[in-house]
Amino acid sequence: MSCKIPIDRKRMIFDGGTGTLLQAMGLKPGELPELWNLEHPDRIVALHRGYLDAGCDIITTNTFGANALKLGDRTEEVVHAAVRNARQARKESGRQDAFIALDMGPTGKLLEPLGDLPFEEAIRVYAEVVRAGVEEGADLVLIETMTDSLETKAAVLAAKENSDLPVFVTMTFDETEKMMTGGTPESMTAMLEGLGVDALGVNCSLGPDRMLNIARRFLAASSLPVIVNPNAGLPKADSEGNTYYDIGPEEFAAGMRDIAGLGVQGVGGCCGTTPEYIRQIISAVRDLPYQPPVKKNITVVSSFARTVDFGKRPVIIGERINPTGRKKMKEALHNHDLEYILSLALEEEDGGADVLDVNTGLPDIDEPSTLETVVKKLQAVTALPLEIDTSDRDAMERALRCYNGKPMINSVNGAAESIQKVFPLVKKYGGVVVALLLDEKGIPEDADGRIAIAKHIYEEADAYGIPRKDIIFDALSLTISSNAASALTTLETVRRIRDELGGRSILGVSNISFGLPRRELINSFFFTMALQNGLSAGIINPNNEAMMNAYRTYLVLAGLDPQCSDFIKHYAGTKAAVSVPSAAGNTGSANAGGSVSAGTTGGSASAGQASGTASAPGGASASDSLGSCIERGLDTKAIKIVSAELAEGRDPMDIINDELIPALDRVGNNYEKGIIYLPQLLTSSEAATAAFGELKKHMTGDDAGKAAGDRVILATVRGDIHDIGKNIVKVLLENYGYDVIDLGRDVPPEKIVDTAVREDIRLVGLSALMTTTVRSMQDTIELLREKKPDAKVVVGGAVMNQEYADQIGADFYARDAMATVRTADSVFGHSKQ
Amino acid sequence: MLGFNRNEMLRYLGFRNGALPDAEMQQNIDRLTDELQRVIAPKSVAETYDVTVTESTVSFAGLTIPSRDLAKNLKGCVRVCLFAATLGVGPDRLIARSQVRKMSDALICQAASAAMIEAYCNEIDNGVGAEAAKEGLYTRPRFSPGYGDCPIEVQTDFTRILNTPKKIGLTLTDSLMMMPSKSVTAVIGITPVPTHHHAGGCATCTVKGCAFREG
Repeated sequence: MSCKIPIDRKRMIFDGGTGTLLQAMGLKPGELPELWNLEHPDRIVALHRGYLDAGCDIITTNTFGANALKLGDRTEEVVHAAVRNARQARKESGRQDAFIALDMGPTGKLLEPLGDLPFEEAIRVYAEVVRAGVEEGADLVLIETMTDSLETKAAVLAAKENSDLPVFVTMTFDETEKMMTGGTPESMTAMLEGLGVDALGVNCSLGPDRMLNIARRFLAASSLPVIVNPNAGLPKADSEGNTYYDIGPEEFAAGMRDIAGLGVQGVGGCCGTTPEYIRQIISAVRDLPYQPPVKKNITVVSSFARTVDFGKRPVIIGERINPTGRKKMKEALHNHDLEYILSLALEEEDGGADVLDVNTGLPDIDEPSTLETVVKKLQAVTALPLEIDTSDRDAMERALRCYNGKPMINSVNGAAESIQKVFPLVKKYGGVVVALLLDEKGIPEDADGRIAIAKHIYEEADAYGIPRKDIIFDALSLTISSNAASALTTLETVRRIRDELGGRSILGVSNISFGLPRRELINSFFFTMALQNGLSAGIINPNNEAMMNAYRTYLVLAGLDPQCSDFIKHYAGTKAAVSVPSAAGNTGSANAGGSVSAGTTGGSASAGQASGTASAPGGASASDSLGSCIERGLDTKAIKIVSAELAEGRDPMDIINDELIPALDRVGNNYEKGIIYLPQLLTSSEAATAAFGELKKHMTGDDAGKAAGDRVILATVRGDIHDIGKNIVKVLLENYGYDVIDLGRDVPPEKIVDTAVREDIRLVGLSALMTTTVRSMQDTIELLREKKPDAKVVVGGAVMNQEYADQIGADFYARDAMATVRTADSVFGHSKQ
Repeated sequence: MLGFNRNEMLRYLGFRNGALPDAEMQQNIDRLTDELQRVIAPKSVAETYDVTVTESTVSFAGLTIPSRDLAKNLKGCVRVCLFAATLGVGPDRLIARSQVRKMSDALICQAASAAMIEAYCNEIDNGVGAEAAKEGLYTRPRFSPGYGDCPIEVQTDFTRILNTPKKIGLTLTDSLMMMPSKSVTAVIGITPVPTHHHAGGCATCTVKGCAFREG
């Protein structure tokens, strides 16, 4: 389907800068240029006319910052006036062939989680602008100067959900060719093609010379028309203090000729360029033939900053964020323990995953909201692209909507009902979708049947306008113990997907070994065989040594690890494990990923602080006690010692009472005396937490009950989005045996108070970093006094002091994390001194 | 590579009285500061304006700030350089990640990136000083919204005047926190009166009870 703006058929010339021209007409620094649409319509019309008379094909309305966050309730009026001014200019110039682009720039706020603007709110802000622009007769929407991929996605969704207009998107990159929040030409191309925009490219910040390579990268990645609108070089100030740009019209046009020569479809200017620049561009590129965009057959997914390309080497998809058959994961989902899920994600990343599968499906939870929350949290801590894995349509849509990039989607199958459910979402949000080769009739016994379903799915995708490159077929691995031919059928299917369909394939590898002993033997060999048959991606446990051994070895032998460099990096200096203890599966890969503590334990540089308590058989050097490991913050070593003590039959509660708690007391006292400092206090806490985690595994229900502590709420108050201080307090409180209900950051008073009432909490800890948010702290305390008068409040944070705490009616002020522990001890009557 | 003051980082980490981290922690600090150097993207924007200073107000760029402390800082100044600087979102992302792995790593990233933005501001400050010196002028210690009695709300004006969201990606939350968090906005007074520039830092700050106060 061709776009209503003929950029896919002929070269389009965009206009140039607005701000610099308006300043020349008298716009003051800090004054909002968009208001001039109302205050000085004549000047805005004249500005557009200048560009139309110079010969440009697309003029952009003076609405760059026209949104409710800057203009409040005047937004609609301003947008109407702006489009009207553009129409007036077009009429006056007699250029009825020219198009009017409704211009939308960044909101000026950072979206959550980096900032405080919610994603749906950003969509609403843009939607208002789009609706007004459509009403007034804009011909297309130009989203430009974008510096953040999630905000770009919000703008595109707003445009698509509120108009049928073509959508063009240009983004701003710095000299390292990255956007402010890390996006690259390739990652943005992946996301924007998925969202169905009509053209994309780059504008602002750099001159034509520095954009040449960015243009090349867009052209290599994009199947869509590419637009390049540079600045007139860099801003300089003349002797009078006026801003000018350092590349003149002729030099600029010469640079644009080079860029047009690469084959871009849209050229124009940005800051510092004027109608004269546009005139010069037009004459400089006139004799260059138009090159239509070239379709790329690249199967790619993206995150906010990175792409994973399925055509290069087989892709590892981490399978561990999935409750099926995983007790801890189930518990984590039930208890909203997102930290566990996030730490799993980082373990998978360290293990070598390229993409993370995310499945939060449990019968008794609200899957749509859980999946959305988990996806949002994951993309705040990992740059790996995600695979949205759910059979719940609502959950799928909510996750796809907030996902910052082009995800994988797991899954669709050949049944009509599945296609009707999933394909409209793939079409709207974009993504590489896993298609299971089964349909209403079940799983075909043979490869012929599975290939037939694959062909059917391709045809359905064509009908929905989903490119075939965005389908990846799951050839289905079935239990070998119940059907001896099942592996061969799967392998044949994988091979034929590549050879007959030219397509991509994926397997959830571990199903094959169900019911057999030593499953990793079957799994790793089957994985190797599938790779050899052309498998594009495996859904596996990247922290399973056997699987990753098979993978890395395959890459070497298949010529996919040049100079064997990855292989050497992983295995140089290592020895094959003779026997693999159950817990050891993770260690090798975790080390490779740079886990610090593991690397430092072996050195044993410790002075002779030997004590007799531990005699760790076969473990690391036995010269250290649990207490000294905790004091020195050696978490891995602490775990080893605890394991050894448990193996000798020591009672977990004895270890806690005789070693762990005394060590923590020593650490706390040393901190308060100024013998050790915060980082050491924290690493000691972390070592104690690690040791305690190991002990917990061996505790009976009774003991675990005894160990359960008093409960404390912690929250960073509304308006405050920095939570490191609160989280440090949490680590320490947990260490001293408290059960922390962590409500997170930017928490409204009602939520804190409701939780305190519902859970009957005796101590609430509040943190605020800014004078501006102390007010929310006071609101919270007032509401708490009213609804839960017996709860005590301890406050802390950068701006807090005793005087402030008294003013807002807190019960206690804690100057640091350790002081919060002491406060809790006094409230709950645990004080030892 | 952004040079920064390691002693300042240790002070932000809470080390006192010349105490130093042990070898294991030092190794961690080195690893994390290397990672920070890879993820920071320092950017800044600066403009110079004529300034009018009274006892209790400071006016420039169409803005009047009611602040005796700022007026005192800028006494005798003819111009101000208004600047904004940021390390980008890299440190915030690394801190968020580190909090999942290991809180002590997050603390180190926090302290090191705070020292890095200070170092970056010092670079800018020195540049402004060198330019002023060419004209025989001097610069005053830089001063930020929220110092002394200078209202934090001025942050909104500074970011608008410099157009920081577009120019360097520096935005404000509704509660006026800067995001990316490792960011600074400040004015530097330019004066014909010889002045001791480095009388800045903790000595001039009115918040006496600060845990990080030096001297």
